[in-house]
Amino acid sequence: MISQSSNERFLRQIPLIGMDGQEKLANARVLIAGAGGLGSAIATYLAIAGVGYIRIVDEDTVEESNLNRQILYHEQDIGSCKVVAAQRTIRAFNHDTEVDAVCRHIDETTVHDLVRGIVLILDGTDNFAVRYILNKAAIDEKIPFIHGAVNGFYGQVTTIIPGVTPCLRCIVPNPPTWEKNLIIGVTCGVIGSIEATEAIKYLTGSGVLLKNRLLFWDGLRGDADSIEIVCSPNCIDCCASVIEQDVYE
Amino acid sequence: MKIQVKAFATFREVMDSQIDMDLPKDATVRTLLTELTGKYERLGELIFAAPGMLRDFVNILKNGRNVHYLAGLDTLLDEGDIIALFPPVAGG
Repeated sequence: MISQSSNERFLRQIPLIGMDGQEKLANARVLIAGAGGLGSAIATYLAIAGVGYIRIVDEDTVEESNLNRQILYHEQDIGSCKVVAAQRTIRAFNHDTEVDAVCRHIDETTVHDLVRGIVLILDGTDNFAVRYILNKAAIDEKIPFIHGAVNGFYGQVTTIIPGVTPCLRCIVPNPPTWEKNLIIGVTCGVIGSIEATEAIKYLTGSGVLLKNRLLFWDGLRGDADSIEIVCSPNCIDCCASVIEQDVYE
Repeated sequence: MKIQVKAFATFREVMDSQIDMDLPKDATVRTLLTELTGKYERLGELIFAAPGMLRDFVNILKNGRNVHYLAGLDTLLDEGDIIALFPPVAGG
């Protein structure tokens, strides 16, 4: 339910998404996997848009080197558990947003608990091993998964709807070899904001989702481009759901 | 036959972001990459682990489908194909 004070808060956006859309945001339960640069931007924009419940998961503590991009944290948070500091900031943005702060590693044994009761998963992780785990859980539980990733001034986003769109493994079958990613905060801001935009559109039924398209952001050239992406019938993660979709068609 | 190549992320630092290529009729992804690495000197070391051996993490999409799930470097190209080349962007 939207509180009385919220009507004033959302005065400028309710005409865009409708009172019904605002109620949908208030009733939505989303998972933000990773409370880093992307997670910070996603959580900020979803909380101030009025999303009612955010489960945010990360096992790390805040380090000084995070502060060039992880806008949920302040200098006094260095050394603190990220999700606890994140919860404090998010609640300060919007006290009506319930924040479930989970300090836990995301792996095959924890992921199904983490997505329980969730209607949408947002990718704020920093590696493909965890992304593949989320991708598989999204397929298994039929929960939409908004993928985003950043490197330097570059970023990418797509909205994965299990059984309808290609999954992450269709697009990127092999993880990159490990490398320390270079990153500047503005790129996290752009990509996290696009992920949050996708979430708001999905939750309120607005606009056209980034389905079956992979959007690339190139901050160095001020250029965005998207390419069509299609399911791979022999993808090891989603082939079953694609076949199921073919049967329905 | 004419195909269009689009490069994304760090690949743009060694090649044009978009280029039209004119290839022989029976060209494959391998033919295309040979042409491209001839044209862009620094591209070869970025995408090949050894001559003719593509690095695992290089993504090549033919009209949106990763060639990993087709015939890899031997995937045949067709007139009007759009080929996307990108490394995984992994940070968060």
